[in-house]
Amino acid sequence: MIDRRDFLKFTGLTAFTALFGGCEKLSRTIVPFVIPPENYVLGEALWYATACRMCPAGCGTLVRISEGRAKKIEGNPKHPVNRGKLCARGQAALQGLYHPERLRQPMKLAGARGSGSYTPITWPEALAILMPHLAKIRSEAPESLLMLSGRMRGHANVVADRFMKGFGSPNRVSWEPLGHDAQLAASEAIYGIRDLPEYDLANARYALSFGGDFLETGLSPVHFGRAYGAMRQGRETVRGKLVHFGSRFSMTSANADVYFPVAPGTEGLAALAIAHVLLRDKLLPQAAGGGVWDGGLKEITPEAVSRRTGLPPSAFVETARELAGNRPAIALAGTGPATMGNGTYNLSCVALLNALAGNYGTPGGISFPDRRATLSRFGGDAQLIAPAPESGHGALRAATDRMRKGAFRVALLLEPSNPAFALPPAFRFEEALGHVPFIAAMAPFIDETTAHADLILPTSHFLESWGDDFAPMGHAGNAITLMQPVISVYHDTRAIPDILLAAARELGGPLASALPAGNFREYLANAYAGMEIPFEQALQEGGYFRMKPGPLRPLPKDAGHSMPKASEPAFAGSPDRYPFVLRLYPSNSLLDGRHANLPWLQELPDPLTTAVWRNWVEINPDTALKLGIAEGDGVAVASPAGTIRAHAVLHPGLAPDVVAMPLGQGHGRYGKFAGGRGENPFTLLPDATDAGSGSPAWQSTRVALSKVALKGRLVRFGFPEGQWKPDQFIA
Amino acid sequence: MSHGGGHKWGMAIDLDRCTGCNACMVACSAENNVPITSEDQAGKGRLMHWIRVNRYWQSGWPRPESVHIPVPCMHCGKAPCEPVCPVYATYHNEENLNAMVYNRCVGTRYCANNCPYSVRVFNWFDNKWEGPLDEQLNPDLSVRSRGVMEKCTFCIQRIRRAKEQASTENRALRDGEVVPACVQTCPPGALLFGDLNDPDSEVSRAVRNLRRFRLMEHLGTEPSVTYLKRVKGGGT
Repeated sequence: MIDRRDFLKFTGLTAFTALFGGCEKLSRTIVPFVIPPENYVLGEALWYATACRMCPAGCGTLVRISEGRAKKIEGNPKHPVNRGKLCARGQAALQGLYHPERLRQPMKLAGARGSGSYTPITWPEALAILMPHLAKIRSEAPESLLMLSGRMRGHANVVADRFMKGFGSPNRVSWEPLGHDAQLAASEAIYGIRDLPEYDLANARYALSFGGDFLETGLSPVHFGRAYGAMRQGRETVRGKLVHFGSRFSMTSANADVYFPVAPGTEGLAALAIAHVLLRDKLLPQAAGGGVWDGGLKEITPEAVSRRTGLPPSAFVETARELAGNRPAIALAGTGPATMGNGTYNLSCVALLNALAGNYGTPGGISFPDRRATLSRFGGDAQLIAPAPESGHGALRAATDRMRKGAFRVALLLEPSNPAFALPPAFRFEEALGHVPFIAAMAPFIDETTAHADLILPTSHFLESWGDDFAPMGHAGNAITLMQPVISVYHDTRAIPDILLAAARELGGPLASALPAGNFREYLANAYAGMEIPFEQALQEGGYFRMKPGPLRPLPKDAGHSMPKASEPAFAGSPDRYPFVLRLYPSNSLLDGRHANLPWLQELPDPLTTAVWRNWVEINPDTALKLGIAEGDGVAVASPAGTIRAHAVLHPGLAPDVVAMPLGQGHGRYGKFAGGRGENPFTLLPDATDAGSGSPAWQSTRVALSKVALKGRLVRFGFPEGQWKPDQFIA
Repeated sequence: MSHGGGHKWGMAIDLDRCTGCNACMVACSAENNVPITSEDQAGKGRLMHWIRVNRYWQSGWPRPESVHIPVPCMHCGKAPCEPVCPVYATYHNEENLNAMVYNRCVGTRYCANNCPYSVRVFNWFDNKWEGPLDEQLNPDLSVRSRGVMEKCTFCIQRIRRAKEQASTENRALRDGEVVPACVQTCPPGALLFGDLNDPDSEVSRAVRNLRRFRLMEHLGTEPSVTYLKRVKGGGT
């Protein structure tokens, strides 16, 4: 509360600061606004529509605003991706907005690179450092500018692209560890369309998941979560069945009716064995597939696959019969098999099973909706506005090599997806950054990557920013999502497109004429001028959702499918020295580590282990007994690339020769909520990729386990009515 | 929707839809000013979540099976927590809610001790929201102070808001108008909320489902939360 004296004091101050600028700094300490907006009633909340950027799925949201502050995020009921629903990560975006460690003003490096020691400076001071660097290399060697960002979408991506083209540098890299390269490559190989399919899970009677993680961290968790509920209980007389083949017992497998454990990397083979039975026994008369049968499917018998996967042949025969008897049926694959050394092969096999089972274009099947009608209005920019959801891993590797050779004099890091944290040490990304003389980052936080910058410009949160978004998958891709600042900028931050527009204006010349808009809002409003719904109205609704769904795209390769080229998973380390395959998976709350600084998500129990605030290593209880490891013991996990320590979780769902760890923890420079919470599993990995698509292979090493003394303990949420007792499962 | 006798709020949780994704937990924390604790406090069993998702292992390798069960306050018809409160801080209101009067609570913790579902959480400290995280706090309800017990309220502030809205528009509450934060966000639609006095409400129809059961029903607590059993499809 403020008393009368304070009130007068502040009123005076407000008058002063209004004259000399910077009044937002004061206002936030008392009331959010001195002159409230017209539609504001004290005590009544307002809701504004925008988009969620916590993962690449692209959900639409409504944000509850009370007295100028964001209070609660809910899904936008009109949005085609999530229909009013939202996941735990999306709910937690508010903590990113109001994070105590968010950068409040530009920061200048005050120590060694990577030390995280910075001095706060003003925007004019920051631009006085950045602009001469840019001006100098533009006149001398414009191609020595590197721009590294996360995967950007919408017109923000257009602005970034125009900036680099106008500057004269082709060196733009977008890197997103949660890319779907293997799925794209598989779609291209089997269907001839390089896109993510839409899976109509809600209308399927039978769903086959091959290492699928679609309920927790896959393509679009809320989209699939909704569809899953409808598949199970949304129909009066039908309950869809979910059968899961996988090498790790995940949240999605926990929801399956039947779980078939397979050896890591053989998920694709399992799909082929089912396809083999479908054709061999003529279970689906329409599934001709002559070319595939003679092209190699003939040899993939259940017996042959049984030896590789560790499952009895009957598993494939029975599954094939169930699939044939319960149409429509679909097959889905997930992050696990996609991030193997043979990821594209695994996903191609699953896509082939869908194709042979005649699942294309049917309700309860898969489809590639035609988005070209929606995107045609953007002309040549369509590829920038709705880019393929790739990881950009190959481009990052090339850029890293060139960094080392001194090709870049200035690097701009635009909210990069933390490559210094989420890459294996052998990639040597951090070392390569050291060869760039000047690095400027635009980011909301200091993390392992931005800590290498000489200058950090603080960026606005997505809830404070203008923008537009295109969900990467399915029918939702026909909708345009608009983003608006739901609150005014809270700290002295700016959005990336606005920084780039201002820089372009200052650098002048062709760059300024390529980006003529004064600010990004104006740029957006121009881009959407002339739509059938006025821009302001679309903003209110959250975007343009009433687009007619396009027709399905015809399949170029529908007639003659070919067998995917056989490919084996590769695991570093010899089985006798490193007896266990390491399965790494994105955490349900922290993903690859990008949300590790949000306390709500740190304190959110893992769905299967119920552990909080720290990472762990999952070990089969029998294996642990043989190694003398008990629940909660310290364990050293050693791979050929490195060793980390973590607490043991005896996991009854895991195979005896597999150990699993969640990604996300082990941060050194991501603030106090993320720091000191275990060690980083990415450091165990070799620099390996999926052979078919070049995306990072997280399932690429074997490890050895040994008991070690480890400080602290792993806290499990548990529950008082009773917890799983280890001895129950030890024979 | 015409029925006498006011409202009787109840929830149905379809375990065949629940995926265990925990979205309800964060939605609840955001809506109800539930504090975060710390690793240290969590290790002492002092996590403050008002709704939790229990995971039970049913069998292990090579046929592992587990089930997730979201557990909010059951708002028992005969609540074991109520008769043991010496100061009437926890009481039963006329709409079948098991309600808390925070400023009556003296922190005996008898209620938590007597709750078979362990859904009550205690403020061992004055929980601080480090600025500016406090900007997120919901103005519709208080931040509880040290020594006070708290728990799920079925988002009573949302019930009130919906009633006020209905009364401004001079009409009765519609089914589905009152939506607690957990129910609102649940991606697979596992949670349902509504008026059990209205025989046509979605929740009333759900609790007549043959898969219904209630947690620890044998205790005679008459929970207002009805679960619908998970179905397990056959197979090898």
